[in-house]
Amino acid sequence: MDALAQQKEPAAVRLDAPAAWDAEADDALVCRAVRAETHDVKTFVFAAREPRRFAHQPGQFLTFAFEIGGETVHRCYTISSAPTRPDTVAITVKRVPGGPVSNWLHDAVKPGSVVRAVGPMGDFSCFAHPARKYLLLSGGSGVTPMMAMARTFHDLAEPRDVAFVHSARTPADIVFRDELERMARRDASFRFTAVCEADAAEEAWGGFRGRLTLPMLELIAPDWRTREVFVCGPAPYMTAVKAMLAGAGFDMARHHEESFDFAALSPADTEAVEAAEAELDAAPTVRTFRVEFAKTKRAIDCPEDSTVLDAARKQGVRLPSSCAKGLCGTCKSKLVSGTVAMKHAGGIRQREIDAGMALLCCSKPTSDLVVDR
Amino acid sequence: MLDLPTTPLKSLLNERLPGHSLPAPFYLSPDVFAADMEHIFAKHWIYVGVEPDVPEPGDVAIFDIGQYSIAVVRDDDGEVRAFHNVCRHRGARLVTEEKTTVGNLVCRYHSWTYDLTGALIHADHMGPTFKRSCHGLKPVHIRSLEGLLFVCLADEPPADFDEMARRMGPYIAPHNVRNTKVAYQHDLIEPGNWKLTMENNRECYHCGTNHPELTVPLFAYGFGFAPEEMDEHDRAQAERYGCLVNTNHAAWEAAGLPSREIDELDTMVTGFRTERLPLDGDGESHTLDTKAACRKLLGDLPSAKLGGLSFWTQPNSWHHFLADHIVTFSVLPLDAERSLLRTKWLVHKDAVEGVDYDLENLIGVWMATNQQDSDLVGLCQHGARSPAYQPGPYSPNTEMLVDKFVTWYCGRMAAHVGR
Repeated sequence: MDALAQQKEPAAVRLDAPAAWDAEADDALVCRAVRAETHDVKTFVFAAREPRRFAHQPGQFLTFAFEIGGETVHRCYTISSAPTRPDTVAITVKRVPGGPVSNWLHDAVKPGSVVRAVGPMGDFSCFAHPARKYLLLSGGSGVTPMMAMARTFHDLAEPRDVAFVHSARTPADIVFRDELERMARRDASFRFTAVCEADAAEEAWGGFRGRLTLPMLELIAPDWRTREVFVCGPAPYMTAVKAMLAGAGFDMARHHEESFDFAALSPADTEAVEAAEAELDAAPTVRTFRVEFAKTKRAIDCPEDSTVLDAARKQGVRLPSSCAKGLCGTCKSKLVSGTVAMKHAGGIRQREIDAGMALLCCSKPTSDLVVDR
Repeated sequence: MLDLPTTPLKSLLNERLPGHSLPAPFYLSPDVFAADMEHIFAKHWIYVGVEPDVPEPGDVAIFDIGQYSIAVVRDDDGEVRAFHNVCRHRGARLVTEEKTTVGNLVCRYHSWTYDLTGALIHADHMGPTFKRSCHGLKPVHIRSLEGLLFVCLADEPPADFDEMARRMGPYIAPHNVRNTKVAYQHDLIEPGNWKLTMENNRECYHCGTNHPELTVPLFAYGFGFAPEEMDEHDRAQAERYGCLVNTNHAAWEAAGLPSREIDELDTMVTGFRTERLPLDGDGESHTLDTKAACRKLLGDLPSAKLGGLSFWTQPNSWHHFLADHIVTFSVLPLDAERSLLRTKWLVHKDAVEGVDYDLENLIGVWMATNQQDSDLVGLCQHGARSPAYQPGPYSPNTEMLVDKFVTWYCGRMAAHVGR
């Protein structure tokens, strides 16, 4: 028999028609990748603990409850990934000098980290305002909802005319630049224009310079008045754009904006976020148990949703192991005290379990433990 | 080299005088020993142990036959399987303890993991083109004769095991080996060639003068005598024994216990013999007081007074099935001049030591007898090394079974190396 047929690739399991993610059932998201977008912007890719699919509209956001320094901090982040790739959900965060949350995300969140979130929520979405032509205007980190919208139309190969205008400080600060340029090269109905205030150290900027102006917009998209307009960015940017559009006589019913920092949400969104925060606060937090290793005289903290082996690895405690899925028994250990929940795959006998043995690779603590290792 | 027409082994086989012990090289030569391992122990059904050695799923027992190591496991369906105890990666010995319990079979070297069907189910770092399915454990033929485990290392084992099982099954089944436990196992390294160990076992000529314990329950005359040489007392004993056999066999067979002799020691590839033998005294067991050693009788046996069912197999085993316990013996050659005699005493699974049986009483007769036999084998081995040794004649009255063993051995060797 072929090796592929014998054993399912673990990633394949995630694609086996999983249920939709339901934050009420499990609000824990596991970080699966952290990707650098620019020198100070990272994308954090999350998945549910069990295989789940995320359903959202491009432009919507999640409300997170981060445990930072022993305190719970709530933040909303727009989903930067597209719902057309539903197995994960991503947020893209710029490091803000002195910002407690963005710095914590950049420094502490790694693949394997668990965060809690509810959502999706918000009505700032192109799907809420169907149109044939869109103008997406973003400044700085306001790029994330626009990116989700652009990626969605691109993935769906929907014939929408999209003009994407992004304002950045320097060319080195253009988030998603490669991907946006690539989409523009491949898709005639998608156009991408960046506007930079200054040169970068490595690159002199030859495009539109300064801040977005009406003459620039007339050059970039002469038909901009016929487009549904979405705007997101820092407050001064959005105020300036709004004034510029209104001053040009644009039908402001077709102007939609959202602050990237969620400082000024719509009343409906504010209500939703408050409800989400309450839900996150009410959710039981993940308990952590103490695991002591009797022979090596080391001790670790093990969250109840982590295997002892994983927690030990993360905290630099080496344990014998091989298959890490309860098959080979290499990590078989005597529990001197404590209890675990174990989902093994044949690597241990009931008689051994009855005698106090456990496979640490597939045992999650249900109490403090002392392990004879 | 040994299979060329002019090899010493062939000429040695031709040299053998029927009815006589073997020429000395059969007991001394490393070359003959190598041929024994190749042609006898790697091509015939070898008795190694009992199902109660691996009573539950996940239990593993290791049996070494010469250079071979065999892992016998009970799988999750309760089936007993046997594999070469060699990891398919770099050949490490897979299971290192004589008896253990496992979830899967894991090589401690690089954690290659096999399930209990022998399939390789985990091997790290072997790359995408590696085919696990091509690297399962190599199976070894194994058969259970009513709980007695026989393995065969040959690709095609002798086909007549089924006939032996068909004829022997009804004799052994009433003692229900599968519902026993190993109360005690004793490994004794005898200072002699395995054939001397077997020859010694196949006669009771030596019993009267060497086995004061064994001859309490066992009639030495059960294995033949020369009537013309016996005095009045001996003849009376022999007659009493003859009557006992006739009346007991009739009674036992009427009670559903096959008892009469079957002798295929030198007439089948898988040679065997059986007979239910009356015991002296109270007639219950191989103990010094001839009474049952264990209060819990085996199977559904109605009484302790059922004599002892004896079962011999070629090339390497004998067994005594009493109503209250079973003693099994396997002989495993170590080298030309040393042999492992492994004895297991089995009692009812639920019997409790110190309550239902006293261990010393249970094993006393055969512990003493084995040591006496080992000493005798050592004497023969020592004698065979003397240039003065010359094959001597077997007694036509008491050593017929020795002759059958040697005849079987020479026949099987000749079948593989030619004459």
